[in-house]
Amino acid sequence: MITELAQLLINGVLAGTQLAVPAIGFTTIYAVLRYLNFAVASHATIGAYAGFVANVWWGWPAPLALLAAFVVAGAFGLLTDELALRRLRPAGPLTVAIASVALTIVLENMVRFAFGNDLRGYDLPVLRDWHFGGLRVGPQQLENAAAALLAMAVLFLFLAFTRTGKMMRAVADNPMLAGLKGINAEVVARLASFVGMGLAGFGGMLIGLDTSIDPLTGFRVLLSVFAAAVVGGLGSIPGAVIGAFVIGIGEEMSVVILDPTYRTAVGFLAILLVLSFRPRGILGERAY
Amino acid sequence: MSIRTTRRATLLGGLALPFAGRLAQAADAPIRLGSLSPLTGAGGSYGPSMVKVVHAVADAVNAAGGVAGRKIEIIGADTETNPDSAVRAARKLIDVDKVCAVIGTWASAVTTAVAPLCWENKVMLFTVSGADSITQLPHKGFIIRTQPNTHLQGLRAGEFMAAHGAKRVFTLAAQTPFAVDGYKVLGEALAAHGAAAVGQVIYDQSKTSFRSEVDEALKAKPDWLYLNSYQPDLAVLLRELYRAGYEGKKFTYGYAANAKLLASVPANVSEGLVSFQPSPDVDSPAYAAVKAILGHEPDPYSCQVYDHVSLAALALAKAGATGVDGQAIHDHVRDIGGPDGETVNSAVDGLKLLAAGKAVNYEGASGPCEFTASGDIKGCKFRFDVIEKGKQRMLEIS
Repeated sequence: MITELAQLLINGVLAGTQLAVPAIGFTTIYAVLRYLNFAVASHATIGAYAGFVANVWWGWPAPLALLAAFVVAGAFGLLTDELALRRLRPAGPLTVAIASVALTIVLENMVRFAFGNDLRGYDLPVLRDWHFGGLRVGPQQLENAAAALLAMAVLFLFLAFTRTGKMMRAVADNPMLAGLKGINAEVVARLASFVGMGLAGFGGMLIGLDTSIDPLTGFRVLLSVFAAAVVGGLGSIPGAVIGAFVIGIGEEMSVVILDPTYRTAVGFLAILLVLSFRPRGILGERAY
Repeated sequence: MSIRTTRRATLLGGLALPFAGRLAQAADAPIRLGSLSPLTGAGGSYGPSMVKVVHAVADAVNAAGGVAGRKIEIIGADTETNPDSAVRAARKLIDVDKVCAVIGTWASAVTTAVAPLCWENKVMLFTVSGADSITQLPHKGFIIRTQPNTHLQGLRAGEFMAAHGAKRVFTLAAQTPFAVDGYKVLGEALAAHGAAAVGQVIYDQSKTSFRSEVDEALKAKPDWLYLNSYQPDLAVLLRELYRAGYEGKKFTYGYAANAKLLASVPANVSEGLVSFQPSPDVDSPAYAAVKAILGHEPDPYSCQVYDHVSLAALALAKAGATGVDGQAIHDHVRDIGGPDGETVNSAVDGLKLLAAGKAVNYEGASGPCEFTASGDIKGCKFRFDVIEKGKQRMLEIS
């Protein structure tokens, strides 16, 4: 029983690190632009396919392909925000959120149109897991976790130490005050879209590396990503990381008492509990 | 009193014109059949060829003069292998296009969702889904399926595994209407041959990782795994099993272990996977016809829809001009599949015989088309394959 719990904990932590990347993307966009951009789902898919093109068609190694996933998904995020969502912003956050749902369906089907509905795998060997003391962990999972941690570290450094990063935090904290200081809110908004969707794409490819990809890759994890962001506190980047671990571990641990079929319910349950007892999430939205 | 031509009256009149034309044409308007197959989703690898075959049969029938002097028109729609989408598509086919039959629903959850719409509107439903529960619905005879039911399939799966040395079989099943039934039948079949079903995990297909599920399965120390999956989740499961170091045997359905699966996982991951599927009648001229339409060896579902359209056309022809609707297919489709009458292997040949007033015994690409009152096929052969070095090799047809 102890071994089993330990195994589930490991699985959960590894799932959580993967989930954290798109969750940070989602929450970053919320922090700066103040709306829920559900198009993270399709951008995760776009990232996964960009990585696929780079890795399988062009033969790039996985780390470079991950970078391509980030850049392409980020560029799409920028573009779709400019073309579709930006004009709706004056109509209020709810309108934009609903439009983002529509946008994600459109983009998902564009991917389907371009690549078909087939399942695709990256050009990576499937490796046997490492076993130790009755526990097992996959080399690919560890690589993914390392990549996710690296991406998070880079983001933290960017936000903490660069001028642009500080600008983003300033706008997220108080747009009006930031405007008075001469920070161009539009530029920061575009940057947030790029970084947020780029991270979604990065996360999408990470998920694909461990399994395989199809046009629904991003949509499948949307609920978990959303739950992670809400649980941690919408708009808070450390919150998204903590939320991702809570959801990741929660989903895996739930199989002890629940049938795996109901694992998806964990996300909903977590949202329900957190919103009932701590409506601003574990960390609250103003924590950076 | 003068008749005033107002703008409103002109508009209404204008709108009514096309309908007047349509009413006048009704007697020789085409007979509409709905093709409702999965063009996307887990069944997306089968839908396109199924639709192609449906159109080809309709074209052949039309070229030979149609049914009761009317052409057959195929209206297509995509189920997306998703019950919600399938119901929307079926509503459109039934309410707007007024089809008299819906052909080729794939995946039991989809068929179960669409079925009530069909029987309530007296539209015949031809399906390739296998769940027992489908023909147990109160469908009043409006469902016919060419796919053997879960009971028959589970029985054969259990017999095969037991015959090949299985002692402890664990089942990993996608959440489908036949997961529970299938496990029960499998257990009975195994028990009858001195083996045992040692547990089942039903998993959520929409998840991208099944590590915990695989851990739970391997805890039971099975020597065979029965993977009651669809292709996308099977690809993920096989990878997880390989990573976990599982060395036992694996058994699954033919619709999951298809060419797309082979393309999506490395050869060492799929090695040794045994699959089975209802075997089409590969020696039949109808099978050759389907092969000619597609230009390659057909899958069982393309063969089955070939028979669906043929059966629908023949049943309508048998009903004659008296009524061209779902009720007519319902009333006559069981007379078409024999056993009495002259054996034919295509709709066109059957139509000629019916025109000459003879009885017809249609035997199609999927095999004999004799149905029980509840709509199940009476008998069926199965084909077993094994994957070796990334290629499928046939083990046996029995």
